Amino acid sequence: MATTAQLNLTSDITDDSLNVTTGAKPLYLAGGTTDVNTLTSVTKTLESTNQVDLITTGSVSTTHAYVYIKNKSEDASEFFHITIGSAGAGSPTDTEEIGRLYAGDFMWFPWDVNDDVCITPSVATKMTVEYMVFS
Amino acid sequence: MATEAQLILTSDVSGDPTNVDTGLIPLYKAGNENELDQTTGLGRVHLRSTTNKVLFAANAEGNDLAAKVYIINKSDDASLYVTVTINAQTIGKLYGGDFMFIPWSQTDTSANIEVAATNWTSSTGDIPVEYALFHEDTDYLTNA
Repeated sequence: MATTAQLNLTSDITDDSLNVTTGAKPLYLAGGTTDVNTLTSVTKTLESTNQVDLITTGSVSTTHAYVYIKNKSEDASEFFHITIGSAGAGSPTDTEEIGRLYAGDFMWFPWDVNDDVCITPSVATKMTVEYMVFS
Repeated sequence: MATEAQLILTSDVSGDPTNVDTGLIPLYKAGNENELDQTTGLGRVHLRSTTNKVLFAANAEGNDLAAKVYIINKSDDASLYVTVTINAQTIGKLYGGDFMFIPWSQTDTSANIEVAATNWTSSTGDIPVEYALFHEDTDYLTNA
C-alpha cells in the first residue's frame, strides 16, 4: 500500500517568480518507512456557526496522522475557523486557532492526535467541508 | 500577481484507489478575490535545537487577514522530526520529507509559529527546514 502527497506552489509576487514542488512524498507511520494504512474520507454540511469537533482524537488509533481539509464554498466571503483543542459544547475557549479556510482553500498538515481538530463556520447557511485523514 | 497552490494525493489504502487533485487554487486576500501580494520568499534554516524557535512571529494586526504558510522538513532521515506549534499548541510532527500548507490566523502576538528539532542530538545532524509565508498584512515585518 502506498499513499503520496505532493504540493505545487507558484507565485509571481516577487519579480523573480517562485516555483516549489515537493514531488510525491510517501506518507509513513511515525518515524519509519511503513506506509500509512488507514484512510477516513468525509464530506459534511454544517448549518450553524457553532464550533464543533470535526476530527476527534478517538477516531484515529495512532499518534501521527495527516489531515486534508477543504472549504467547498464558492462564496469568497465564507470561511471556516480551523482550531485545535477541545470544542467543549460550542465554547472556543480552550482551542487555538490555526487559521481561516476561505472558499476554495485547502490545508494539509501532520496531526499529533493529542487534541481534536475543530471547525466553526462563518455563516449558518449550509457550508460544506471535506476532509480526509491518513494514519 | 498570482500565487497558486495545488495538492495532489494518491492512495491505494482502500480497495479502490483514491486520487485527489485540488487543481491550482489561487490564494486570495481575506473575504474577496484579490490576490495575496506579499511573501517572505522561500527560506531555509538548519535546526539543531530541541527547544521551540520562532519561525514566523505573529502580528495581531494580521488577525483578520489571510496568510498561508508552507513548511517542509528536508531531512532524508524518516525518523527525524520537527514539532510545529502555534502558541504552544502542538499541531503535529513533520518527519523527514513531510510538508504542511496551512492558513495562519495571527489571533494575537502569542500565535507565533514555532518549530523544534525535538529528537535532534549532536549525532543526528541538523534538520534542514524550508518555509514560505504568503500574506496581505502590510505591518507584518514591523513585528518580526
